[in-house]
Amino acid sequence: MEFICAFLTFYSIYLILSISLNIEYGYTGIPNFGKVMFFGAGAFTVGALTSRLLAPLVGIDLSNTNFKIENIKIAESISKTYLMQRPIESLAVFLGMLALGAIIGGIIGWLASYPAIRLREDYLGMTLVVAGELIRLIAYNYDPLICGTFGVHVPNVFGFIKSPEWTFDVVGLGTVKNPLVVLGDTVSDIIKAGVMFTIALSVWFLAQRLMNSPFGRLLRAVRDNEVAAEALGKDVAKTRMIALVIGSAMAGLAGSMYAFYTLTVHATDFTPIRTFVVWVMVVLGGAGNNVGAAVGTLIYLVIERGIAMVKQYFPMLPFDINYLSYIIMGALLVLILMYKSEGLIPEKPPKYTEE
Amino acid sequence: MMLPPEVFIDALIYSNLLSLLAIGLTLTYLTLKVPNFAYGDLATIGIYVAFTFNEFYSLHPYLIPPFAFITAGLVSLASYILVFRPLWKRKSNIVTLMIASIAVEIALRSMIHIYASALGLRRRVSLARFDEPVNIAGLELPSVLLATTLTTITLVCSLYLFLNKTKFGTAMRAAIENPYLASTLGINVEQVYAVSWFLAGGLAGVAGLFLPFRISATPETGWELLLKIFAASVLGGLNSIFGAILGGYITGFAEVVGIYLLSRPPLNLSTAYRPAIPFALFIIVLLVMPRGITGTDWRRLKKILRGGEG
Repeated sequence: MEFICAFLTFYSIYLILSISLNIEYGYTGIPNFGKVMFFGAGAFTVGALTSRLLAPLVGIDLSNTNFKIENIKIAESISKTYLMQRPIESLAVFLGMLALGAIIGGIIGWLASYPAIRLREDYLGMTLVVAGELIRLIAYNYDPLICGTFGVHVPNVFGFIKSPEWTFDVVGLGTVKNPLVVLGDTVSDIIKAGVMFTIALSVWFLAQRLMNSPFGRLLRAVRDNEVAAEALGKDVAKTRMIALVIGSAMAGLAGSMYAFYTLTVHATDFTPIRTFVVWVMVVLGGAGNNVGAAVGTLIYLVIERGIAMVKQYFPMLPFDINYLSYIIMGALLVLILMYKSEGLIPEKPPKYTEE
Repeated sequence: MMLPPEVFIDALIYSNLLSLLAIGLTLTYLTLKVPNFAYGDLATIGIYVAFTFNEFYSLHPYLIPPFAFITAGLVSLASYILVFRPLWKRKSNIVTLMIASIAVEIALRSMIHIYASALGLRRRVSLARFDEPVNIAGLELPSVLLATTLTTITLVCSLYLFLNKTKFGTAMRAAIENPYLASTLGINVEQVYAVSWFLAGGLAGVAGLFLPFRISATPETGWELLLKIFAASVLGGLNSIFGAILGGYITGFAEVVGIYLLSRPPLNLSTAYRPAIPFALFIIVLLVMPRGITGTDWRRLKKILRGGEG
């Protein structure tokens, strides 16, 4: 059960990422090779701000503590003494930080749209890849952000689910203790994964609606023929900018969810491999349609988990099996590009109503 | 303010290697017009070839360049024949080629990681012990300075002679300039491109070989260098060998001297921010002169020449 929940959570996070890349690349034709930067922006926002914002509520004065060294203690004390008893506040923190992560992601997307509108694909690819690496480098070396080499801990906003300290008043029954506590860890895992999956599904439906709307057709028009779109009075630059901002806000959202799930944010976690993984998912499933993104994400994660399981049978392997999985993924990606470049589920023309 | 000689020497060694790498990246870019994200990893192959030959065959690192050249060249050639050429023949667009190059990059880096783990290499690779000082005309110079300078000059000169004085080199330039016209004249464009990729890989291998003299290298070293190689090549204009050399030296000196100045008072920045310098350079070049040094100057020069002749 724990395994299924973990899988579902990762699926949710990566689903949002592949939808976001699909909007940018699949629908609009912006090759975003810096996805990890926007994903990281969301995660860094949650990591850098959650503890700091909540610390005054539990009586910790940040001005005379060394946040870099003590952030784990601060996060723990916020979880234990504040969030565990307060489910509503916990959820408010969770949703508020997700929104903030998405906003920050969107802002960085807006900044990135400056080169994205002006540069040719090859130069844009180089710019985004190296920009992502530079942000990781700064996050790793600049302590005030996410505590550099130490990494930062995030308070557990799901702690209340299995907390016996959470009580509430029910009319006629008086004070009732948390009924979920008897069910133990499993229920907590299920609820967590359920929340994540619900968010991902909402994003998916939202993207589906958006891409089948006139705006979605505009994106395709810009991708397929910029000159024609411009001749019809469409603002190509603005359209590309909006697509990038939407995609980046989604990536920021996914990053925030990731931070709340893993409870630690560490700069070394945000390498370009993540960008690559999302590209594999989108190309595998088929760019330019959200069903393809969902299928590609699923297939990728199943293969990845499969390789991780095989690992158990070879405990003596002298190297990290992840590398083997990257080689397989690289080969798979190249084969798809050669033999089935439209992906497993090719793009279909958009639905429209005949009048 | 005077720069200490060590900083100057360091900058020169680094720039020598960066120039070689920028030339190689430009060579591959000239053929398929794709920025090869896997290029840095070819330098990492050079590092591990150097380590392997030194550790197991007790070969002095200064004797290893031919091996590094051939190994990295063959890997580069293999990536061209197995991945890029088939995609190019299928008329794949540039984004597809870029995705493929990232796939090659990740796969190569993973293979190097596996190779390093299989050797039981937990530590970083360093060849600093071979960097003995050499006494020349009363000056104590590190031998690696002479080795890299000589290697760079030799390679650049041979490349120049190859491209300009041999028949194959002329064919190569023609194929790069206009593949369709060249193929109608009977030049085997694919073969020419393959040679380009081999040479480019070879240059990366040789440059990589010298890296562990000054830094302790890991399987990630080449990837970390890629940003600087991009900066140097884009500064050079991504269209000429001469530009790449110039870009390599400017980027190299800007980086080494720049971080030396920034890490001293009054700023006292951490040297960990060193990659920010080539990145800033990269962005400035894109904003101010996206065609690079040679890109902008060549055109003006041609116009002036044409005007003068006509």
